Parts: sequence; C-alpha cells; structure tokens
Amino acid sequence: MKRISGGFALALFLVATCAGFMGLKLETDKILRKKIPGSSIIYVPSGKFLKYAAFGYSGLAADMIYLWAIQYYSSYEIADRFTYLDHIFAIIAELDPRYTDPYEVGSMIAGQEARDIPLALKILDRGFAKNPDMWLFPFEAGHIAQTQLKDYDLARKYYGKAMVLPGAPDFTKRLYANAALKVTDYKTSWETWLEVYNTATDDRVKKIASNHLYQVRAEMDINALKEAVAKFKEKYGRLPEELSRLVGAGLLASLPKDLDGQDYVYDPVTGDVKPPTMWWKR
Amino acid sequence: MKVGTIALNTFKEAKRDRILYLLFFFAAVCIVFSRALAILTVGDRVKIIKDVGLASISLFGILMAILMGTGLVYKEIDKKTIFTLLSKPIHRAQFILGKYLGLVLTLFIMTVLMAIIFLAVLFFHTSQVEWPMLTAILFIFLELMLITAVAILFSTFSTPILSSIFSLSFTLIGHLSWGLETLIKKMKPGTGRTLTRVLYTFLPDLENFNFKTEVVHGLPIPPKIFVYSTLYGVFYAAFILGLAIWVFRKRDFI
Repeated sequence: MKRISGGFALALFLVATCAGFMGLKLETDKILRKKIPGSSIIYVPSGKFLKYAAFGYSGLAADMIYLWAIQYYSSYEIADRFTYLDHIFAIIAELDPRYTDPYEVGSMIAGQEARDIPLALKILDRGFAKNPDMWLFPFEAGHIAQTQLKDYDLARKYYGKAMVLPGAPDFTKRLYANAALKVTDYKTSWETWLEVYNTATDDRVKKIASNHLYQVRAEMDINALKEAVAKFKEKYGRLPEELSRLVGAGLLASLPKDLDGQDYVYDPVTGDVKPPTMWWKR
Repeated sequence: MKVGTIALNTFKEAKRDRILYLLFFFAAVCIVFSRALAILTVGDRVKIIKDVGLASISLFGILMAILMGTGLVYKEIDKKTIFTLLSKPIHRAQFILGKYLGLVLTLFIMTVLMAIIFLAVLFFHTSQVEWPMLTAILFIFLELMLITAVAILFSTFSTPILSSIFSLSFTLIGHLSWGLETLIKKMKPGTGRTLTRVLYTFLPDLENFNFKTEVVHGLPIPPKIFVYSTLYGVFYAAFILGLAIWVFRKRDFI
C-alpha cells in the first residue's frame, strides 16, 4: 500500500514538474532577449580550415552553413547582413565545391538584395572556376551582365564560355550571337546565327535565326549606306535624291539589297535609310 | 540528514577521481590560452578572452558533469556496494538525491575555481573585476545542474559509455532545439505543427541558460528572464530526478 502511494506521489510529481517546465518554457519564449544576429560570422574561419575541422563531414557542414545562410539572409531586420556575404558563400564553396545551389542563390542575394553586381559575378565566377564543366554559371553571369549591367561585351564573353560546354542549351548560342550584334561585331554575330540556322532542327528556331540573319545583314548594309550618304553630302553639299546616285558618284560599287532581295527605303529629305521590313515581322 | 551524508560521501569520492583534475587542468589551460588567441585577432582582444573563457567553463563543466555523473550509480551497482547501502534504512530516492547533490557540490567548487582563473586572466587585461561575467557563469552552473540530473538518470539503467553518449546528445539537443521554432513557423497549421510545437516545448532548451552573448557584448538582460530561467532549470532538473528515482525504484538488485 505504501509502495503504491509512493508510486502515485512520484507520478504526480513527474506530471507537476513536467507541466511546470513546459509552462515556464512558453513563458520564457515570450521574453524578448537582445541579440546580435550573426555576430559570430566574422569569427568563422575560412572554408579550407573548416574542411579539416569537419572531420570528413564537409558536405554536411556545407549543407548546415547553407541552410543557416538562407535563414540569415531572410532576416530583413539585420541591416548589415550583406557585409560578410562573400565570406559565407566562399566557405560553402570550399567545403563542397560541387554544390551548385549556393552559387546561384548567393549570386541572386548579391545581385537582387544587396545590389552588388560585381559580387554576384564574383560568386558565379567562383562556381565556374570550381566547376568548369557547368554551363549554368557563365550563362547566369552573362544574363546578369546583359540585363543588369547592360554590358553586352561582358555578356558575350560569358555566353561564349557557356555555349561550348557540354549540355549547354541552344539558346546560349543565340544569346551569344545577339550580344555580339549589340557590340557591332557583325562578323561573329552573322557567323553564329548562320550556324544556328544551319544546325536548327525545328522550324521555329530556323525562323528565329533567319530573322536575326536579316537583322544583322540589314544593320551592316544600312551602316554602309548611311556612311556613303554622309560622304555624298560632304562632296556635293546636298543629300542624294535617290540611293542609286551613290553608285553614280563612285561611293558604292553596287546598291545592296536586303536578305529578301528588296531595296532599302531611303528618305531624301532626312537622308535616313531603313529596311523595307522589320526583321521581327518577316 | 541521510541525503546530506550520501552527498558528502559522493563529494569525497569525486575529489579522489583523477578525471576531475584532468578536466580542470585542461579548462585552466584553455582559459589562460585565450590570451594567446587574443593576440591573433584584429580588434577587441578582450572579447576573444571572454568568449574562450566562458566557453571553456561551460564545455569542461559539461564534460565533468557527464563523465562523473554517468558512473555514479553504475559504479555502486557494478561494485555491489549498492547492496550494503540499500540494506540500511535508506530510501532509494534519498540515495539518488544524495548522489546528485554530492556531484552538484563538486561541480560548484570546480566552477568557482574556473571562474576565479577566468576573472584573474580578465583582470590582467582590463585591470578591473568583470562582475557581469558572473551572471553567465551562474547560469552555466544551472545548466550543469540539469545535465548532472540527466547523467544520473541514464546512470540508473545504462553503462557509463552509453550514458555519456545519451547525456551528450541531450546537451546537443538542448542547444539546438530552438531551431524547431523556425520549422514551426514554416509549417502549415495542422496536427504536424501541433505535435512539433509540443515537442519543442518538451525538449530541453539549454539556451535559456546561455547569457554568454549578452554579458560579452554588454547587452541589457530583462530581469524577468533570470527568474523564469532559474525556475525552468529547477523544474526540469526535478522532473529528470523524479524519472531517475522512478527508474531506480523499479530496479531489482537481488
């Protein structure tokens, strides 16, 4: 009887203490404690050191830091959270160089959140240096250079690296050709679009390539025509009445025609030259 | 009275344990070595000394609690001395409480000694006694009290090696359980979320005893949390000791 009552008292004690600490846990959670979020980041050593310290679990360590980084960079109340962005993603890259997500997400945080485009490109460059067989990194870098920096020459270089890698989709070549046109490298652009046209397996891509070939050709011809018009004006002090005068004046060997065999449209009042068809409407 | 006698004997027994001095030696070395680490930093050297010092007190205190606590009851059973003890008019609960209080007393003395070395090293750098550090040390001691209870619980039914692993896991879980809160926030309302919340409330939250960041950076600490954290530690330790008594009562030694 005594044993039973002792057991009952103990069970009661266990229930009471359990309820007590669970209640206290909820109460302590309500109290806001001052924290310095991410204050320990600067003390995290380089990835090379951590790789040894991870005792063979470097992949797991990379996962943990990456998961932590996602949470950390989602905390908008930390105003200076981008200060060590490069350091953190460099650590993950050292711990697990083939882990591709952190490069992409890191560059996205740098580009979109921190508005630090050079850092975004640096993170992607690191990804490419550690994974030279992955087209995604130079492709992403090219996209950033094109859309955010408007640096088409840089974009062309990145797309050029991406398009030769195994598994790179066809559109990387098209983007490369387009960037080359933007920097007036007509020869490269023409040759690349021609290659796209010749190797295209479906009609849609063939049509796209054909339209761009038209565009490149038209830009080249219009530039040559405008240059000849300017020389004509310099020589005779007036604009030519029609484009055929340029041939008569010895400024052009013959009048160029567009890719569809049509004449370019000339405005004798302004001296402007336009293609007979808009390239995207062909 | 009986509890006091057992506690005093446990303390005397612990004093003779070489592992206690070995751990204390390493803790002292780490605290003093924090000076060397501080030289390597650029900026606030005292911060490094504070961080390393407090971490050493916490880490080696935990190791003392686990390595000594897990053998306390097991040794009595293994060496058959438990028969002599339990043949006397001693309640099993008194035995467990005595063992617990004896080890807590040992840990208290060790924590005080480590704190003195730590404050002395700090005094050497700042030329002042850093009293706020005692807040963090006091709560480290509270954490040690809870971990000692856990070590004794496992010691009542398992071998020292397994008990050490279990106790260490308890400590790790205790310091990581706050992460469940993030998970709860991301979960959709439902049974899964409710169960996770119950688990989150039940699992130990040793971060309640972690005031290291606050004292090192000189951040204000709400006074209310001292009371709640202390009570939390007391209730949790009481619950664990209750479990230990319950398990020990069920054991048949004959």
